[in-house]
Amino acid sequence: MKTMICIVCPVGCHLSVDDSMVVHGNRCKRGEVYAIKELQYPTRMLTTTVRTTSREIPLLSVKTSDPIHKSKLFEVMKELKTFVANVPVACGDILIHNILDTEIDIVATRTIEK
Amino acid sequence: MVDTLIIGGGIVGTCIARELSRYEGTVLIVEKENDVANHQTIANSAIIHSGHDPIPKTLKARLCVEGNAMYELMEQQLHIPILRTGAYVVATTSEEEEILKVLLERSIENGVLGATLLDAKQARVLEPNLSLQTQKVLSLPSTKVTFPWEVAIRAMQNAIRNGAEFRKNTQVSSIRKIDNGFEVATTNGEIILAKHVVNAAGVYSGVVAGMIEKNVPYTITPRRGEYFVLDRRVKGFVQHVLYPVPTKAGKGVLVVPQTHGNILLGPTSTHQEEPERVGTTREGLDYIRKQAVKLAENIPFDQIIRSFSGIRATSTAEDFYIKESNEVKGFFHAGGIDSPGLTAAPAIAKCMVEEVMGGSISLRKKTYFDPIEPEKKAFHDLPDDEKKALLRRDPRYGNIVCKCEKITEAEVIEAIHGPLGSDTIKGIKKRARVGSGICQGGYCEETLLKIIARETKKRLDEINYYALNTPILIEETKVKR
Amino acid sequence: MKTDICVIGGGAGGLAAALSSNDDGVSVLLVEREGHLGGILNQCIHNGFGLEVFKEELTGPEYAERFIKEFEAKKIPHLLNTTVIDIRKTKDFLIDVSNEANGLFTIEAKAVILATGCYERTRGGISIPGDRPRGVMPAGSAQRYLNIDGHLVGKNIFILGSGDIGLIMARRMTLEGAHVHGVAEIMPYSNGLTRNIVQCLHDFDIPLYLSHTVTDIKGKDILESVTIQEVDSEFHPIGGTEKTFEVDALLLSVGLLPDVHMFESIPFEKSQETKSAVVNQFCETSIEGLFVCGNALHVHDLVDWVTKESQKAGHFAKQFVKNPVRGKSNLKPVETGGFVRVVVPQKIDFGQMENPFELSFRVSKKMEEGILRIEQNGKTVREKRYKHLAPAEMESIRIDPSFLSGDHPIRLIVEEVVK
Repeated sequence: MKTMICIVCPVGCHLSVDDSMVVHGNRCKRGEVYAIKELQYPTRMLTTTVRTTSREIPLLSVKTSDPIHKSKLFEVMKELKTFVANVPVACGDILIHNILDTEIDIVATRTIEK
Repeated sequence: MVDTLIIGGGIVGTCIARELSRYEGTVLIVEKENDVANHQTIANSAIIHSGHDPIPKTLKARLCVEGNAMYELMEQQLHIPILRTGAYVVATTSEEEEILKVLLERSIENGVLGATLLDAKQARVLEPNLSLQTQKVLSLPSTKVTFPWEVAIRAMQNAIRNGAEFRKNTQVSSIRKIDNGFEVATTNGEIILAKHVVNAAGVYSGVVAGMIEKNVPYTITPRRGEYFVLDRRVKGFVQHVLYPVPTKAGKGVLVVPQTHGNILLGPTSTHQEEPERVGTTREGLDYIRKQAVKLAENIPFDQIIRSFSGIRATSTAEDFYIKESNEVKGFFHAGGIDSPGLTAAPAIAKCMVEEVMGGSISLRKKTYFDPIEPEKKAFHDLPDDEKKALLRRDPRYGNIVCKCEKITEAEVIEAIHGPLGSDTIKGIKKRARVGSGICQGGYCEETLLKIIARETKKRLDEINYYALNTPILIEETKVKR
Repeated sequence: MKTDICVIGGGAGGLAAALSSNDDGVSVLLVEREGHLGGILNQCIHNGFGLEVFKEELTGPEYAERFIKEFEAKKIPHLLNTTVIDIRKTKDFLIDVSNEANGLFTIEAKAVILATGCYERTRGGISIPGDRPRGVMPAGSAQRYLNIDGHLVGKNIFILGSGDIGLIMARRMTLEGAHVHGVAEIMPYSNGLTRNIVQCLHDFDIPLYLSHTVTDIKGKDILESVTIQEVDSEFHPIGGTEKTFEVDALLLSVGLLPDVHMFESIPFEKSQETKSAVVNQFCETSIEGLFVCGNALHVHDLVDWVTKESQKAGHFAKQFVKNPVRGKSNLKPVETGGFVRVVVPQKIDFGQMENPFELSFRVSKKMEEGILRIEQNGKTVREKRYKHLAPAEMESIRIDPSFLSGDHPIRLIVEEVVK
């Protein structure tokens, strides 16, 4: 029996999923969908920073283009530790394609001119 | 070999250094912390007491009244800020009224000028927020307030101007008598040779004395005092320093206007064993709230921006111990200097040098001594034409670093450089007041960090909060190469 | 330097206000103390912004970028690296500013919009006892050091306060390699979004200590440990519940306060509840032509609301400039009752009731179901049911002048529906 709190809406139902993957405690269908996904393939958006070649603005905020599997968070952080983004960079630019074979990109979330 | 080694860079040590620098001979002052003025000197009520409280005929009484008068000259020469507040000692019961009469007599005997009794109505004319329970007050017009660490910093700057040397991060570990003086070892392996040693080590004065004497004539019994700081926007809430009637424990919890507009509430008085544990306590802070309301109505507690505590070097001698050692000639004590230490400091220095040292060793006055430290007002306290002139010279007076207190980059840079400059966050706070306002450095600490790093050519994570090895920033998260 | 409207602050609030007051007939000048626009959004690199305004989920910098792009495209005049020293008023407003490029000078404006955001409540502000070593700082400062400067402030962290800033930092520090030992929260429930509890604490097994607060801090020069204790219903620490954590940084997420205290010369009426200016439905203070919006007016939970409010403030400031002769102002206070803790605006100007307006309010306790009633002269003129009201969630209600009559003050009441 796995338990979790649903985050789909502000109610925050306390959910539990039994061994036959039946969800209990949800007040709507969305909670059921969330619970199953959380158990089978939990994903998270990752937002972090990377170094830049800019002297004035040494860090660039970035995000994953889509949520990535929860287990990959620290691996991706480690990979980005040594990455350097070349300025100029525009908000929305893809800095790294398909990071660590996840089919997910790392996207700049800020524009740095120089 | 230096002529005089002073151990301790607080208000007493720095005033003695300045006094000694009037005379021929080399003066070296050593301080174990990473800056001048670190312990009692930065954690007190900032009051220059009138001398109403010490027992007559004690050194405390004499040097308090003398020191109070000497601050007039200090203001002119060192350009330290002085607020002429006067004080009221507040009596709320008939027993306390009787004590006021005793204090008045004591004041007169101690030579305090202008001490007089007022009834509550008269007192309230100048002090509308005075507690409604007030029955009578003892008015002490000679009471003043200063900015304590600035006094120490300027006294030291003046001593340096006149040839003295200041060494920080130098902690004495042992003292040995040798033929014509002393061999003083430090914790970092240095040996300093000195003809004479002055012990101005505050709460450690007993420990330092014990390095050379078998029977130290006093024991330090540390007493912690906790305070609240109210934001400078409460300026004008009270005009006078407000004292309750004193008890055995001390002067009590006071309400004290400060030179920059803030108000201090405190101190408490709690004995503790450890000489350096300067933590505040819930009990202490609660006690201040309870006691302060006895002195004034409508205290703006919601304007509290900070609390701190300091340790007094109270000693078993119960009076200042300013004498040459009984056991070792050439070793001079300024031991057990607690309240009124700040007030008495210039007088302690004069007494130590002229009477105590002068009575034992030969001191010759220099032909030239420059007693003046030039005035240095905060940029935003200057009149407009002076501001414009400074801006023309250095546009960085236009770059505000601390928005709450209006401190500019040029002032920060000045505080970093120079013989008594500082490269720490707290050191700059002491000198330029960056971070002393309502946001307590929440916004400007980062800007300050960057300026210090730039000016001292260091990395951001090398800049210390205060002591050595207290960097604000731990590690860089992204690897450069 | 002369302008019609001076906007102080170039973050979410200032950008929205400047954009909405920008008009052919009205000149706008924005003053910002940093070297770039965007304000606090620049360091809020996490997701969750823009769901209301853009119907998209954006990070802080992306949200700011949308407005900065428009602002720059419209070539709205602005001063960077410029700090406002004071605001005075003779006939018009005199804004004294300072920067390195030009020194000290004064901007003359017909109207001023304060969009200066908040500063964080400090350790001193809640009187946490103990030693005062390096390593105790507001969570937002740690966020800036990490996201803008690239440095951790500690390797072993404890966080006081479970509002969103504290939760976000718990996750952020963990991802960057620090060990967050726990989060303490003095209330019996967390203020933060459930999503953040799950994704910032549960995901990383960071314990949340509800009904706990920090009661001691130890460390001579650097932080060595913090002690937390459980508190009772009066928030007094309970003896015997001490838990000590050996950490080198304590982050404080204990509240935001509007940053309006530095305008000393201009005596606008202040609110004890919001700690900012008392305003009317146009975000106008007791001083005609002085507007406050965004977090500088009251702390918002979502930046989207800051944008919407500031757009209105800009619009009203523009109206004020275009029609300087205002006619009869008829201000009445907004009264509150039941579980309403705070309401903004605090005053309604019945002399200018042409358009509908919003009242924002917070309740004083959590409730599953509540009823909001608007009363005027003892009569209920509007009623609305709410599910899930909480002090941490600001709500708003639209008031249409058509359901008000006369100029009797209105009263906002929230009652709990107990099943």
